[in-house]
Amino acid sequence: MPRSPGAEGAPPRIPRRTALLGGAGALGAAVLLPGCAASGPQAAPALPEAAATGATADGGVLRMARPPASQAETLDPASSLSAYEYLGALYSRLVRMDAEGQTAPDLATEWESDDAGLVWTFRLRDGVRFHDGRGFTSADAAYTLRRIVDPGLASPQGTVLGPLIDPGRVHTPEPGVLVVELTTPNFEFPALLTNYHCYVVPDGDGDTIGATGIGTGPFRLDSFSPGGRGRIVAYDDHWEGPPALDAIEMFSMTDIQARTNALLAGQVDLISQTNLDFATARVVEASERATIARSVNAQWYVLPMLTTAEPFTDARVRRAMKLAYDPGHVIDVALQGTGVPGNDNPVPPDTPYWTDYAVERDPDRARALLAEAGHEGLSLELYTSAYDPVFTPMALAYRDSAAEAGIDITVRNTSADSYYTQIWMQKPLMATYWYTGRPADQLLNQVFRSGSSYNETAWSDGAFDDLLDAARATADEDRRRTLYQDAQRMVVDEGGAMTPMFADRLVGLSRDVLNYHESGFEFDYLNIGLRP
Amino acid sequence: MIVYISRRLLSAVVTVLLASVIVFAAVQLLPGDVATQVLGQDATPDAVAALREQMGLNRPAVLRFLDWITGAVRGDFGVSLVSGEPVSATLWLHLRNTMLIAVATIAVAVTSSIVLGVVAGLYRDRWPDTVISTLTLIGMSVPEFVVATLLVLALSITVPVLPAVVLDEASAPVADLLPAIVLPTIALSVVMTAYIVRMTRTSVIDVMESEFVTTARLKGLGTGRVVVRHALPSALLPTLNVIAMNVAWLVGGVAVVENVFNYPGVGRMLLEAVHNRDLPVLQAIAVVSAAVYVLCNLAADLGAMALNPRLRTGERSAR
Repeated sequence: MPRSPGAEGAPPRIPRRTALLGGAGALGAAVLLPGCAASGPQAAPALPEAAATGATADGGVLRMARPPASQAETLDPASSLSAYEYLGALYSRLVRMDAEGQTAPDLATEWESDDAGLVWTFRLRDGVRFHDGRGFTSADAAYTLRRIVDPGLASPQGTVLGPLIDPGRVHTPEPGVLVVELTTPNFEFPALLTNYHCYVVPDGDGDTIGATGIGTGPFRLDSFSPGGRGRIVAYDDHWEGPPALDAIEMFSMTDIQARTNALLAGQVDLISQTNLDFATARVVEASERATIARSVNAQWYVLPMLTTAEPFTDARVRRAMKLAYDPGHVIDVALQGTGVPGNDNPVPPDTPYWTDYAVERDPDRARALLAEAGHEGLSLELYTSAYDPVFTPMALAYRDSAAEAGIDITVRNTSADSYYTQIWMQKPLMATYWYTGRPADQLLNQVFRSGSSYNETAWSDGAFDDLLDAARATADEDRRRTLYQDAQRMVVDEGGAMTPMFADRLVGLSRDVLNYHESGFEFDYLNIGLRP
Repeated sequence: MIVYISRRLLSAVVTVLLASVIVFAAVQLLPGDVATQVLGQDATPDAVAALREQMGLNRPAVLRFLDWITGAVRGDFGVSLVSGEPVSATLWLHLRNTMLIAVATIAVAVTSSIVLGVVAGLYRDRWPDTVISTLTLIGMSVPEFVVATLLVLALSITVPVLPAVVLDEASAPVADLLPAIVLPTIALSVVMTAYIVRMTRTSVIDVMESEFVTTARLKGLGTGRVVVRHALPSALLPTLNVIAMNVAWLVGGVAVVENVFNYPGVGRMLLEAVHNRDLPVLQAIAVVSAAVYVLCNLAADLGAMALNPRLRTGERSAR
């Protein structure tokens, strides 16, 4: 599963040239826009945190600029090429993730497992209808699950659910009851269904769902062209009631600057899945039409050390690399304060299983560890690219900070276009990020477990894997939390990932947009609306 | 003459063919293929294998090229690896849209630059020349995407009279696209004008100092008549080549500008195809661009021959 929904199919999309253009645009605008010219970035006011809220106009059309995945994108939620922005509007899942990171009801109203965590029973909401009028039953839910684990579909979430679900052991005893017999005990199973590939599609619609988009969500499909524009309209029979808006129009724009210009010129109201760089964000904030809202802790930044490559095969070197740098410095330089320290732990702060465990920075100890490992005066290359505006500042800040421990880092800029095929998981040390929004269990299993295809540090530790298995099989919630926290400690102490920080995503939106709320992979399509 | 034209046409075909081979080879050298590019971070070995199988990427590159070229000769450019749509249909739509900008740009740029160039040449070293020359120097030095950005700032954001980006798709009716071509046309014209103005100015100065112009003056003809009837035809000769080169440059220049304006033309199609390593689309665009380039140059040479009797007769006597 991907680090980013939008970027999932369409990774960079922002070749270096365009990133430069974005910068140039911001520069031009910064010079010309009144109010910005005098103050400059330092004196500019802090970027606003939340979007405006309040009673919205009755209806209205929201225009959204989005980075297209590719011309191959599809409305099939299970696919790795799904058009992310449409999913949450068109479909519902059995369960969703609430603001606190807890699993919350959606199409399933309640769920429970047997004592072993093996057999899960979901009670489904009554009277829910798909956009084409068909009633939603457990057959649809079962079909959706079986489809996700179908190897032929190669769904990203299939790698997570595949080992747990046997398609033959998904039962539908009643139209309102779904029973899933897992192949191994898992008390975190419902949390894994909050993933955005788990949206429920109608029974038997697998071949057509990519074009029809028939779901149970607050909007139904009016038109969609892959990599192009599309329109979704309010579904009045939605079980939570109709959405505030009449319709949402989606426009694909590959170029970040084009998306920003469209917002500033009032042609669109919201830029989705785009983390604006600080210069651009300040220009947007200073404009009359548009402003910035933050999706808090939307992504975590990582400097993964490939534990199969020299010198990171040595745990002492990895520890020294972590002790050497000051996360506060990295946040100041790379995020201009719009984030919080990660303490090398990828589980987002204040989520249910998070631990506040942190190791104090100690460059002297780092130096000593390196000497012990025979790597005094360690000299390394750190790869970065214009793929994301934060990568390079983060790399430079790390370099400066680590220099105090005698580590000599050379920052190498590479092409954004092939960054995730040529650099990620290939070079021993590089800069990357993930979108938050996965439950702790999925995150730890996907990114840190031995052999997982998303394990970017190639870290493999049997004790850590056992800890995760034990946690999954533990019924008692407090005990389970402790086990996940132990696992996080191992990631901090032994793992290959340096996680300097969690960053807010800077989202550009019109001042007329009310109740914009997005956290992790949850976007509130129901309440977002326009100023009356 | 006929022999000359057919020789040029033959070399044009070879050039286009070579371009397609080079583009194909270059894409093979680029890191990643369409499967890894489209999947990005989800490019797990299983997913990549499934997609490669589906896209027929497991066959040797040479075979895939031969397949492509046999189709292309028959006018069939195949289907896009990414969207699965026939390349020809998509390409013609985008080409139509790009032609809108290109034709408008050529019309605006050529007219205004010849007028400005002649004025600058006639008023050599006096204030109109200084103003025009300074402006063209700036126009030449500022990249077209910066010009585009400044135009958006002025005409879409500060005074919102024109759209900043195009929201329409490639298949939109021409009438819908017309307001959207204004800014790209200005942006490209600024850069293009700069080159042609300087060329026109130089050749106007040369011609105005030549003996036949002096003779015309001595015959007592008015300045207007001397310039229009005697000086201009000769002065425009060298300019023709510059114009042809610029028209060919447009094919590349639109790529960046179209992206800034989200304009659904060949340039944007090209960038997306490069990013996705979508070979059939890239190949088709390469062939069309190479053809435009070659034809522009051919047209310029033939135009120069038509305008200049000496070139025509020289060619004949050399036979």
